[in-house]
Amino acid sequence: MDVLAIQNLKKNFGSKKVLCGLDLSVPEHSIFGFIGKNGAGKTTTMKAILGLLRVDSGEIFCMGEKVHFGQTNTNRYIGYLPDVPEFYSYMTPTEYLTLCGEICGMDRADIITRRKELLELVGLGHERRRIKGFSRGMKQRLGIAQALLGRPKLLICDEPTSALDPAGRKEILDILLRVKEQTTALFSTHILSDVERICTEAAFLNNGKIAMQGTIAELRNRRSSDGFIIETEKKEAADTLIKVFGGLQRTGQNALVFHGDEDRLFDIMQYVAENRMPVQKIERIEPTLESLFLEVTT
Amino acid sequence: MKPLLAFMKKECLETVRTGKFMILMLLFVLFGIMSPAIAKLTPWLMEMFSDAMAESGLIVSNIQVDAMTSWTQFFKNIPMALIAYVLIFSDIFTKEYKSGTLLLVLTKGLPRYKVVLGKTLLLLSFWTLGYGLCFAVTYGYNSYFWDNGIADNLFPAAAVWWLFGVWVICLMVLFSALLQNNAGVSLCIGGTVLLAYVLSIIPKVRAYSPAVLMNTGSLLLGAEEASAYIKAIVITVALCIVCVSVSIPVIDRKQL
Repeated sequence: MDVLAIQNLKKNFGSKKVLCGLDLSVPEHSIFGFIGKNGAGKTTTMKAILGLLRVDSGEIFCMGEKVHFGQTNTNRYIGYLPDVPEFYSYMTPTEYLTLCGEICGMDRADIITRRKELLELVGLGHERRRIKGFSRGMKQRLGIAQALLGRPKLLICDEPTSALDPAGRKEILDILLRVKEQTTALFSTHILSDVERICTEAAFLNNGKIAMQGTIAELRNRRSSDGFIIETEKKEAADTLIKVFGGLQRTGQNALVFHGDEDRLFDIMQYVAENRMPVQKIERIEPTLESLFLEVTT
Repeated sequence: MKPLLAFMKKECLETVRTGKFMILMLLFVLFGIMSPAIAKLTPWLMEMFSDAMAESGLIVSNIQVDAMTSWTQFFKNIPMALIAYVLIFSDIFTKEYKSGTLLLVLTKGLPRYKVVLGKTLLLLSFWTLGYGLCFAVTYGYNSYFWDNGIADNLFPAAAVWWLFGVWVICLMVLFSALLQNNAGVSLCIGGTVLLAYVLSIIPKVRAYSPAVLMNTGSLLLGAEEASAYIKAIVITVALCIVCVSVSIPVIDRKQL
């Protein structure tokens, strides 16, 4: 079942078209990477899912219920972590989670156990200070705790790792991996290594539409190969190959790279064998999300 | 009900922990002390300046002060306390829009109208508490120094002024729903009160203007009864309800 389904979503800001018929579906228990350039409309889409933004046309369904702008009941299924979460700085994490729990309508005993469990999960279990003195990473982790408080079916994280240092990023990604069993996570980002590390599915947003969607393996398989690297033992051999075969690029003294299909590789290999050129290695360049992203967005 | 109470508890905590509560209470106590203090010091001040005044032909004779002097002073001072109150709380909504703190509680499922109600109830409670404290301090000093019986309709006069404060608070809620920054909120409240004051100058409209609720002098002197304020009271209560009711759909449609 799809936790989230978006159909033909359109949104303009003045004359600027941000979303032009976006379709997206997020299956249950996936970690879904929502990839797009800065300004591609990721935050706009997320705010629309939360009913915080009025869309021009299109429909959003969360757990099969339609999302309405303003007051929407579907938010009870959703836990939201904005890109820069802002808390009431005069509160302690425990007080803040209590407030969130009471607003959700959770009973007191449940709030107490859940807030303890979540603060331990995000590593703030022993933090007695007020939020005012928290670092960005700590706020982000508290943000995840508050988002998970009501046991949401869908956890929406808007660029949760963008503003963090490598250690902070790792912590957030580890937490997201740990909560995979409990919920479905939709997280927007433009850091592709994060997607490759934790996501099971991903979608590329470009020009207000989903340009590509699928599991990470499916996305990688869309491009068979990005080319090959050939490293010869001697520099002269590399020079000869460049002369004979057009389109080869030198990346090191003996290293050459070419973008093309396998037939071309066989031609080169045949030439190498016939002329008995010693070769150090021939390697296929694996397609990365980065190359896919660049292909989709340019 | 539980989310509303939770939100109000958060508002109270905010007022206390950001120091606003302390400032407010000090301010209201200070204004409460100021009225009898000024009344008490008036003869002494007059005596000090009597020589200078005699030179310009003014002769200061025996000056009588009583509870009425103090109460007149009280109603002169209280507008300043209300202005301070408005300035202290003018960012109660706008700060949340700017910082984005409302976003998380709204996505947790807090209905937007409860944000309006929670903040309105808190503003009214603190106004009632502060105003009541200010009144009680003045009342205490006045009964210690003089006799409060001299002021007619003291409690109705105080209640009428309290209602004026309530109207100003409801205006604050309305303008906070409409505008994005607190300077705009303060200016619009000032503008609306000024407009009501200007309207109260026109004899035909006078009885209906909420600004009339500030003129408690004639009530205290017994020149008028509280019934003379009925029209203005009804209009003010209606305006308060309209302000808060309009704020709710406005906040509902606000993009955060």
